[in-house]
Formats: sequence, structure tokens, C-alpha cells
Amino acid sequence: MPFGFVTGVASVSAGMTPFESIALSVLSFSGIAQLIAAQLIAAGAPVIVTVSAAFVVSLRFLMYSAAMAPCVAHLPLRWRLAISYLMTDQTFAATIRHYEAPGDKQHRHWRFIGSGLTLFVSWQAAVAFGALAGALVPASWSLDFAVTLSFIALLVPAVRSRADFAAAVVAGAVALVSAGLPYRLSLVVASIAGIAVGMALELRKEARK
Amino acid sequence: MSVWLAILGVAVSTFLLRASFIVFADPHRFPRRFRQALAFVPPAVLAAIVVPGLLLTSTGFDMTGANPRWIAGLLAIVACARWRNVIAGIATGMVALWLLQWAMG
Repeated sequence: MPFGFVTGVASVSAGMTPFESIALSVLSFSGIAQLIAAQLIAAGAPVIVTVSAAFVVSLRFLMYSAAMAPCVAHLPLRWRLAISYLMTDQTFAATIRHYEAPGDKQHRHWRFIGSGLTLFVSWQAAVAFGALAGALVPASWSLDFAVTLSFIALLVPAVRSRADFAAAVVAGAVALVSAGLPYRLSLVVASIAGIAVGMALELRKEARK
Repeated sequence: MSVWLAILGVAVSTFLLRASFIVFADPHRFPRRFRQALAFVPPAVLAAIVVPGLLLTSTGFDMTGANPRWIAGLLAIVACARWRNVIAGIATGMVALWLLQWAMG
């Protein structure tokens, strides 16, 4: 998990202690939320700002949760809590197709749990290793760029239609223009602008039919 | 102290978002428009993180040859689209960045 290692390095180099970085990782288990929170915590942002920023970047979990819900509705609560905790971009992407296939649905959560636990263990080990080794990696290796690259690797498959593409372009452009706003507010503004444009295109397409 | 409050707040909000429909609510009770809008969250949020990461440097907006990051990022996008493989995309971008930095001295 190069991304986990980089997240650990980035949390410590932003100014969190290795112990805080590891606690944040175990409790939230979300690379993007961890990276944003680490930057804001280290910058001394108010708690409410840090939590709201992490909330906005994690809105995509709402969509994953909605897509998974019908597939796991038959499971007892403890299983659904475990599946919720283990939900990540990677595990969702790796298992949703399997879930949507026809056939017996009784035992499919084992694949999700297996995939989720594997990712959990390797992720936490990588973050811990990164947080402890962080100070030792020279800045000239530009390892921070691996963070941006990991987001690219998630972004490219997420763009599947013209409306998705428009949402991404608008969000990217607004993020550039509003980059001067304090506390990474540009991320929130840009995301909302992108979603609005994507939605507008979607509605126009429906109106034409 | 506030560091730990923030850590707990982030943990609770990420968990509640994940558990939202799986544990608490039936997605079919939410309006279709809301679910359609959610589908645009990943491309919008990810692009809002990626684009400034490629085009903003310590000196501001830079889309010239002096900034290797956007070129390496573009190559990574092509690699991700071509091979549909996370590791191949990250490796392409990282190697491209190192080569460009090395070529620039």
C-alpha cells in the first residue's frame, strides 16, 4: 500500500505525532479524510472546520452505502456495522460488481469482509510504518506526489459519462480559482460547484428525452 | 486536547456516512434527485483535490515546462485510462516525475 505509507509520512510531516497519526488512521480508516484532517489539525484549524472538511470529502461514502445497502439488508446488525467500518473506495470498487451479479446473496459478505480486512491490515501497517519512518525519507524523493497520484487513480475510473467529466472539470477549475480561501474551503466550494454542474447536465439530458 | 476532539469528530463523521444506508436508512426512501447528485461526488471531490495538486506550486499557478507535476500527472491519467490499474498509474506518474526532475537537474 504505497498510498498508506505516503499518508503516514504526510500526517507526520504536517505536524502530527506518530501516535496521533496512527490513532486517526485506525479510527477513521480513510486516506483522503486522514490527509485533509492531518493538514488542518497541524495548521491549528478549529475542530468544527476539520470535521466539516473530512465530512465533505467523505460524502462519497453515502453513495457507496446506498449501493451496498440492498445487498446486505438481510445480515444482522453486527455484520452491517463491520461492513460499514470496512467500507473504502478500493473495497467497494472490488466487490460491488460481484454483489450486483445474479444468484445466491447469502454468503457474499464474506468476500467483502475478506477484501476489507486484508486492506485494513495492510493499510494500518503501511500508515504506521510511514508515520514512524516519515522523517527519514528525503524531500527530494517527492513522495508527497504519490498522494496526488493515488487520487488520480481513483478519479479516472470515476469519470464514466460526459456529465461526470463536466463535474470534474468544473470542480478542478473552481478549486484553482478559489485556492486562496482559508482552511481548504476551496475544496468544499469546488466540490459543490462540480456536483451542481453535473446535476444540471443530467437534468437537461432528461428534459430532452 | 482539541487534536483528540478533531480526531474523534473525523472518526464519527466518516463512520456515520459509511453506515448511513447500510445501518440506518432505506435508500429507496430518499428522493431520486438526491441519489443522482451523490453520483457526482467522487468525480467532483477528487478533481478538486487533484487539479490544484498538479497545477499549483509554491509560487502559484504554473502550467509550463518548469513544473514537472502536471506533465507527470497527465501521463498518469493516460496510464490509468489505458491499463485500468491503480499500481500502473501511480508507478507511471512517479517514474515520470523522477525522470523530469532528473532531466531538469
